[in-house]
Amino acid sequence: MPLDLPNLPDADVAALARQGRESAYRELVRRYERPVFSLIYRMVHDRETAEDLAQDTFIKVLNHIDRYLPEFKFSSWLFKIANNVTIDFLRKRQLKTVSIEGSPHATTRADAEATSFDVRSMDESPLEEIESRELGSAIERAIAGLRPEYRACILLRHVEGRSYEEIAATLDLPLGTVKTYIHRARHALRDSLGHLRE
Amino acid sequence: MDRHLLPEEIDQLLDGEVGFGTAPLKAHVRACPNCSAELESARVLVRELEHLPHFTPSLEFANRVMAQVHVFVPWHVALLDMVRAWAPRSRAGRTMAWAWAGSIALVFSVAAVFVLTQMDTIIFAAGIGLERVRELGMGALADVTTLVFGNTAAHAVTQAGSAGAALALVILLVAAALAARGLHAVVALPRRR
Repeated sequence: MPLDLPNLPDADVAALARQGRESAYRELVRRYERPVFSLIYRMVHDRETAEDLAQDTFIKVLNHIDRYLPEFKFSSWLFKIANNVTIDFLRKRQLKTVSIEGSPHATTRADAEATSFDVRSMDESPLEEIESRELGSAIERAIAGLRPEYRACILLRHVEGRSYEEIAATLDLPLGTVKTYIHRARHALRDSLGHLRE
Repeated sequence: MDRHLLPEEIDQLLDGEVGFGTAPLKAHVRACPNCSAELESARVLVRELEHLPHFTPSLEFANRVMAQVHVFVPWHVALLDMVRAWAPRSRAGRTMAWAWAGSIALVFSVAAVFVLTQMDTIIFAAGIGLERVRELGMGALADVTTLVFGNTAAHAVTQAGSAGAALALVILLVAAALAARGLHAVVALPRRR
């Protein structure tokens, strides 16, 4: 009788993967490719880079599946690796995670204009066009304007539905810091989106 | 409560925290239009965030990942998977498969019992077969020995029996190895120059 992988909990699928079942590896990728890719994509704002980083994440996790401890949530472990891979990338490339309206650290209007970019420029490639469409909504642009650490926290909390404790464990941050980051992120988002609601 | 809610208190209500501390906050929100609007605005934002879609990577994503994952499949898992893949899914199919496997096992059991009862005959036939193979081997070895070392050596091998045959075989192999080495040295000679 074939294994009913789609209905098994993550820990059981991970255990089957540890036993060397390729179908279990594929099931883990199928379950989490979209959440992991979405989180990274919203962090780096580039489809191709996000796919490469998501790929690295899965390769790291699946090649070290024997290190997974079943007493922890598989998804928390996976998001932790995804976050580490993304943060490493952002640090290495010193990628400026600017908002479409310009850097949040800009002090003058000129600075903001210098660090902003036009998502609907005439020479967009098809891929960039997709990115503009996907990340072009007001709320996506507001999220893009957050600091990376706030962004990771708010995405894990409200898009992935993680508890504060899980986020703290995933991002290796104290619980109080996570609460503060989420509070500040919400505040910043409400500020950014305020003009749309008036 | 004679003041508006603090941002942390709005967060507390937003996260649905329970406890005696939230009762006065909720009471204040009911009475204060300002804080009520503030909380509602925060709730709208959270709803919007919760409805953000997941993006989909390219179709080949899973295959690209799997191409770089080292899956070690132990033989017993592979065997079990193969059996599982072949096993029928319906109950009737499984019953048929069991019946079929059972009848095969029965036939093999009967055959095994028959073989055991005829063991003397089998041992006798096997002995004759082995003797014939040994004679053929000795004949072939004697032919090769005659060809390489002459009639006297071949006669000595035949007289000495199995031990002589083994010795002759070893000598033949050593001679072949020395010849190969010599040829190799001859071929390599011009290159050294």
